[in-house]
Amino acid sequence: MSMNSENRNAENNYAACPQHEAALEDQLQGTLRGPEAVMLAEHLATCAGCRTALEDAAVSARLLAIAEPSPDPGAGFSRMVMARIRQELLTTESRSIWRPVVSVAWRFAASAAFALVLLVSFDLGRHSQSVSNQPVIAENRMPEIVPDLPALPANRDDVLLMMADTSHGKQ
Amino acid sequence: MPNVPKNMAATAAALSLPVSRREKGEEERQLVRLAQSGEEAAFEELIRRHQQRVFGLVSGILRRREDVEDVVQQVFLKVFVSLKRFDQRAAFSTWLYKISVNECWDYLRKKKVRPLVYEADLSEEQVSRLDGVVSADQPATSSSDRAEARDLLERMMEKLPEQDRELLVLKEVEGFSVQELAEILDLNVNTVKVRLFRARARLMDVYRRRLHSKPEQPAEGKEG
Repeated sequence: MSMNSENRNAENNYAACPQHEAALEDQLQGTLRGPEAVMLAEHLATCAGCRTALEDAAVSARLLAIAEPSPDPGAGFSRMVMARIRQELLTTESRSIWRPVVSVAWRFAASAAFALVLLVSFDLGRHSQSVSNQPVIAENRMPEIVPDLPALPANRDDVLLMMADTSHGKQ
Repeated sequence: MPNVPKNMAATAAALSLPVSRREKGEEERQLVRLAQSGEEAAFEELIRRHQQRVFGLVSGILRRREDVEDVVQQVFLKVFVSLKRFDQRAAFSTWLYKISVNECWDYLRKKKVRPLVYEADLSEEQVSRLDGVVSADQPATSSSDRAEARDLLERMMEKLPEQDRELLVLKEVEGFSVQELAEILDLNVNTVKVRLFRARARLMDVYRRRLHSKPEQPAEGKEG
């Protein structure tokens, strides 16, 4: 026996010897010639695992022979493909005519959008600054420091009263 | 000199196949050059020559037949666009098939296509029918039998890992050679052979599990 069980293709759960798999495939295809064919024949005479694997492979070939190859797409197919190619080329050409214009337009739009964002953010900044300053002014406004302007005296009595209020007349 | 004509005949016989291949290859290179210079008719001829194999390749990778035509059109469109960059160091067909494979994988990635899953197991009748087909002493004769056998095979293939399924379909159904598969998939020829052989073994494993084991039906459900 040339092959032990540990040489077998345990990973794949079948009994062909890994070092003979390529030759077995050739044998199945009928393309194995010369000394390799002799070597495999000698090996097959002593290895039941490889013999079984080869028989299985032959059955698989019969099984696969049931399947049919894909049908010919027909003479019209090449014309259809050429029509699609022409259409794609036309689309690409029309795209390439407008591409510089589209590119400039996109750049212009991007610059405009950027400027708009800058303006809006600047305006928002100013607005929020004025809003945040307002309470400070209100807090700082003290009647003692900036008194309300008095109304103009209407007559002589009013003048006297004003003087009395502001104590200007007191010595 | 009796030896001279004999030698010449032998040489001619030995070279007859390569020469015809070489001529064919030269003709194709000429077509590619014409297509590269913008000759649409040349490109259309290239499509005509390769459309069936590209169809086979794409339908071997994609399972949904309805997507195949669209992807094949996309392949030829890409080939047309990038044809000027093709330097003819490799055969046009190899380059074309590589583009096809990449396009299929892109398509599957974009669409996130999941494998079709057949939940139903095979009936006893289907089992015996497929057994008959495989044992080769009862070949499926009627078209309905063949169609059913194909359907059963497809169900089993769906149980295989994606890589095994692709290799088996491309090799056994679509007729790509081991050499071609190695070039298309960027693999060593021996690697392709080993993978193919293992894929066959896995197919047989699925076949045995699905056909020869009794269906796992709940016994109580049947009895009740």
